[in-house]
Amino acid sequence: MVEVKNLTKHYGHVTAVNDLSFEIRDNEILGFLGPNGAGKSTTMNIIAGYLPSSEGTVTVCGHDIKEDARAAKKCIGYLPEIPPLYPDMRVEEYLRYCAGIKGVKRANIKKEIERAMERLQLTDMRRRLIANLSKGYKQRVGLAQAIIGDPELLILDEPTVGLDPSQVSELRNFIRELGKDHSVILSSHILGEISAVCNRVVIINKGELCAVDTIENLERKATDAAVLNLTIEGDQLAASFAIDGISGIKEVKDIIDMGDGTFIFKIALEDEKVRQTIMSAMVANGINVVEMSMDKPDLEKVFLDLTRKKRSRSKSDKK
Amino acid sequence: MFSLYKKEIQSFFYSPFAYVLSALFMLIYGFAFVTRIAQMETSVFQFSFPDMFYNHFFYFIFIIPLLTMRSFADERRGGTEVQLLTSPLTVPQIVLAKFFSIVTVFLFMLVLSLFFPIYISQHGTVIWPSLICSYLSFFLWGTACISIGMLLSSMQSSSIIAAIIGEIIMEGFLALDQLAATKWIESNPKINSVVTWFSMQRRFLFFAQGMFRLEDLVFFLSLTVMVLFWIILHIEKRRRTQN
Repeated sequence: MVEVKNLTKHYGHVTAVNDLSFEIRDNEILGFLGPNGAGKSTTMNIIAGYLPSSEGTVTVCGHDIKEDARAAKKCIGYLPEIPPLYPDMRVEEYLRYCAGIKGVKRANIKKEIERAMERLQLTDMRRRLIANLSKGYKQRVGLAQAIIGDPELLILDEPTVGLDPSQVSELRNFIRELGKDHSVILSSHILGEISAVCNRVVIINKGELCAVDTIENLERKATDAAVLNLTIEGDQLAASFAIDGISGIKEVKDIIDMGDGTFIFKIALEDEKVRQTIMSAMVANGINVVEMSMDKPDLEKVFLDLTRKKRSRSKSDKK
Repeated sequence: MFSLYKKEIQSFFYSPFAYVLSALFMLIYGFAFVTRIAQMETSVFQFSFPDMFYNHFFYFIFIIPLLTMRSFADERRGGTEVQLLTSPLTVPQIVLAKFFSIVTVFLFMLVLSLFFPIYISQHGTVIWPSLICSYLSFFLWGTACISIGMLLSSMQSSSIIAAIIGEIIMEGFLALDQLAATKWIESNPKINSVVTWFSMQRRFLFFAQGMFRLEDLVFFLSLTVMVLFWIILHIEKRRRTQN
């Protein structure tokens, strides 16, 4: 559907996007994740054909966005960060205009407008001035203009910003629906949003690619990084020996002496099930277990780690 | 392209904008008309429309930047420029659609102003060929100024600033004649010819006398086309360099 190859964008001396390559498959919702200022909007603007890239190519539905812009743009529905609305137009009138500039055939315009309004529950608002609509409805009109003409690819730049929780969940359901018969690129700096609707994620930071992976894989990475906190009372050595004998333990990362006769063992596990074996080993060796808990980093932490790693790496590169 | 043209026309006529500006135009026209008629009693000159156009050029010229100030600046400010540039429309198509819509509003004003000559023709004689010629030149001059106003609007995100700079440039065009008349420039024939070549008002004079010179037609049309082309280049350039 979309192929991004070695995409680079310079603004003067600043490199906003550096050597990005990824692809978007048919009927897939791709999450585009990164902290503020990571280059998400720039990348999306380039894919949508608003900004030209400095280097690299973007191919949409087999059409190069630079060489064959007209054909490529016909396959794209774009909702920028600020929905492109004319406050002095009425909803229906605005959608008719959008259909016109997108080259929807005259005979299909009425049908397209009805379809878009129905899908976004705007039919009751058709005669309202856009200026008088609430933020949520404005966002819906913005989405309606993106889906008009039924483009194969939808680019949504932070569509849920500024909406209330019920509107956010409504919008997510809508995007999930869209994903069944469209390819969608959804950008956000909120991980929860991406993991709720997307199949795959592209994580970028400072204009560079950090990871392209499925949500499941990222979650697996999160579990891999889980650490068991085992607090015992008594002989530290005996406990160490007992733990060493158990299979299914990766390593003991740290042993903290609390000073009151208790020790905290930080243990990386291969499998969470080993916890029971550890417990029984402790009991068998007559060691009192005061507390046992799992430190399980969530996706958020994986995301932060990935973006931080990149940051420290680029710093050391500079040095 | 027609959709964009239609939307632009609607944004003029569905809002008070076109009507307020037309009213202003008619007010200036009417004011000029009445003062010229009033002067007839005391002067030996006959009243003529080209003469009126020529002498009140100063007022008419300031309406154009008000017409063009919103064309691109508002799109930029409202974030709708992104939609236009990501639509299958090309930049030349966008520029032309906007240009023709403003020209249409300008024509609407000119048609309204025909009320005065028609009124006169019922009570006196109107020299139609000379009137048509001056209307034609006024129209050509207007389109050239519209393109300049649009260029300024495409360079700004504030329509008010676009309008103010537009007024300054229009003022500059008016001052060209006076500049050409200064001693220093008159003593340098080469500079003088350049300055007078650019003076729109001087060209208008020929039209007003009923002389239709190809040179003037080429001047106005080529100026319009050149500036429109500049707008296209400017928008493309901004896409490449904006942050």
